[in-house]
Amino acid sequence: MTEDSLVDPLVTETAHRLLSEICDHESIQAAEATGQAPEIWNAFAETGFPWISIDEDAGGSGGSLLDALEVLRLVGYHAAPIPAAETGILGGWLLANSSQELPDGITTVVPNGRENVTGSVSGDEVTVTGRALRVPWARVAERIVVPLSIEDQTVIASIDSAQCAIEPMTNMAGEPRDTVTFENVQVPLAIAAPGIDLEAFRFRGALSRAALMAGAIEKMSQLTVSYTNDRVQFGRPVAKFQAVQQHLVWGAQDAALARMVAETAAREAARGTAQFEIAAAKLVANQAAARATKACHQAHGAMGMTQEYPLHHLSRRLWSWRKEYGSDAEWSSWLGKIAVAQGADQLYPLVTGGSAVLN
Amino acid sequence: MNDLTEEQIRTELALILDRRSADTRLSTMGAGSDDLDEGRRYLANTVRDGWHVPTWPREHGGQDASAHQNSLIGRVLREFVVPDLYPFAIGLGMVGPALLQHGTEVQQRDWLKPIASGEAIWCQMFSEPEAGSDLANVALTAQQDGDEWILGGQKTWTSRAMWADWAICLARTDPTQPKHKGLTMFAIPMSLSGVEIRPLMQMNRDAHFSEVFVDGARISDQCRIGDVGEGWRVAMTVLAHERAGGGSRGGGDGNARGLKLPSWVADLQVLVGEQSSDWRNKVAAIYARDTTSRWTAQRAGDEARSTGSPGPAGSGAKLRTVNSYKSRSYLANRTAGAHGMLEDGHGYIETLTAPSMSIRGGTDEIQRNILGERVLGLPGEPRLDRDVSWSESRRGLI
Repeated sequence: MTEDSLVDPLVTETAHRLLSEICDHESIQAAEATGQAPEIWNAFAETGFPWISIDEDAGGSGGSLLDALEVLRLVGYHAAPIPAAETGILGGWLLANSSQELPDGITTVVPNGRENVTGSVSGDEVTVTGRALRVPWARVAERIVVPLSIEDQTVIASIDSAQCAIEPMTNMAGEPRDTVTFENVQVPLAIAAPGIDLEAFRFRGALSRAALMAGAIEKMSQLTVSYTNDRVQFGRPVAKFQAVQQHLVWGAQDAALARMVAETAAREAARGTAQFEIAAAKLVANQAAARATKACHQAHGAMGMTQEYPLHHLSRRLWSWRKEYGSDAEWSSWLGKIAVAQGADQLYPLVTGGSAVLN
Repeated sequence: MNDLTEEQIRTELALILDRRSADTRLSTMGAGSDDLDEGRRYLANTVRDGWHVPTWPREHGGQDASAHQNSLIGRVLREFVVPDLYPFAIGLGMVGPALLQHGTEVQQRDWLKPIASGEAIWCQMFSEPEAGSDLANVALTAQQDGDEWILGGQKTWTSRAMWADWAICLARTDPTQPKHKGLTMFAIPMSLSGVEIRPLMQMNRDAHFSEVFVDGARISDQCRIGDVGEGWRVAMTVLAHERAGGGSRGGGDGNARGLKLPSWVADLQVLVGEQSSDWRNKVAAIYARDTTSRWTAQRAGDEARSTGSPGPAGSGAKLRTVNSYKSRSYLANRTAGAHGMLEDGHGYIETLTAPSMSIRGGTDEIQRNILGERVLGLPGEPRLDRDVSWSESRRGLI
């Protein structure tokens, strides 16, 4: 293994310690009620965590993509109600790769712009128009980044959020997913570096969600094991019953599986293109999330359904993230088409070799 | 009275109820509206001729109907608008039938009619923090004091407590007996001094479940249902009726005569772009399972109403009904795509409610256990605390 394929242990340790301190049950509940968590964000941002993997020259914190994804895994694990992915490896990445300034505050990104947001170039400006749906934390963002495909070029529009109309909407997890309307907003034209396009952005988004989901499933599985060992019914901890153990095993398997695919995809992505691994990681994470939430809720019984117990912080996030940057059907279909195009003889090499075979 | 024909029933019901239209929508138990009036109006409307609980005696709000007649009425009722009777379901489906089996004449006279007419709402104070699946571990105590009982302890997951006028409450009257034996069932007025209700917020934002704290509440011995020490038997009657789903006729979904599609399919069709064969297969599979599970539930319910003591078939019915709800909710969630994760998106409430379906009213594991032991005759779970006094087993000596 090279340096590039290892997470800096200091990153894991400090991020885990910090998030344990600042994300407790009450602060997550409060963030859900108000749609923001300034204290959590400020403490997190102060360390530079959101900008890991963006070069220091470009205004980032340096470090590798692996480190950044490790932080995201921990953000998922702690159900931290903050736009870590949007500010860093998504929005920040797009800004840095179009030689634009990174703001000090929150950056968010329009996840599905190609559906209904358009841009037109005139001289050294681009005019953005349209209505973007489900934009994470737009209401508290300083900049809203819109990746646009205009005449064979990828334009990255960096828009001051004060120039947009923002309508608050919320996902199942209580995270802001706002509707943002751009009415002929003019910003300086910035062209993305080679290789940075809408497709690359979509994969990057899926990679970010796979990391978050791996963390959330892991925490969910741990919570479930610990709860069922404490909960006594019929004179013994419910974890002693085989019917409950089966749920625990599903949770643990899916936690291991989701983490493995997310890490494999992260490693390949840090090395170069990793479309096959990312597609597989998001699909596997989606499926693992569906199974694990069912198993963990069932093992918890009624307690897991209450607001006062933390299981729902994780399960509701997983149900939401599962649908972002590619549902099961979308990634299944993408992978299926690739496999068919490679032909029967290439199936095994594809499964074992991944993106390296495709290039 | 002679049985009416299907057409006669339809004619009678048409006089007092509106016909169901294609817009009639499925409601989600416990996550619907807080409107009590609509259900009350419907029950007040149907009680005079005993249409909602036909098998109950005429004087208590039924019409002394046979099981066959009852099931025919149930089928025809589906053609009419029946509101979500969630608030009334415990009284209608569980407490009522249990009173018919275990209640005194006075209790039946005083309590049944107000249940049938929607005047009185009942809740069920069974579960406790330490008594969920292990229901017999109930610790709320009732101590006799002359003609009265003094109650103290805590209940939880008490649905509908905030609306309820009465509760049926399982209490421990003799801690020296093994856990199933020292229990007695009571009816308690929720307005009683010493009874405090605290709503528990669920993850789907529903607050219909509560904790109920009881401290020194006094009730008359007239409120005891069944003999002292017979509480477990009464509780089993109540729960068997719950599984058999006898009470929940309201809020049903489409598939009545003349409607082409159940409303959940109609709703999904609006969302789904191009209908893939995979999607159609799923819809058809759920529809088929849905229909058979409704028939099974109906059969279990009919059996429960005609014999007064439902068997383990109710457990099978509950498993199927839950599975059906969950499958519909997963499909709706999938079909709605990313937009379905937004608040008020299609299938949003159902997605957040689905996990509770296989937990509330007895978990899937408990239902399968009942089927395993009572239908298949498999060896029972080891019950270490069977012959040990409750107070001893509770201290963890076993």
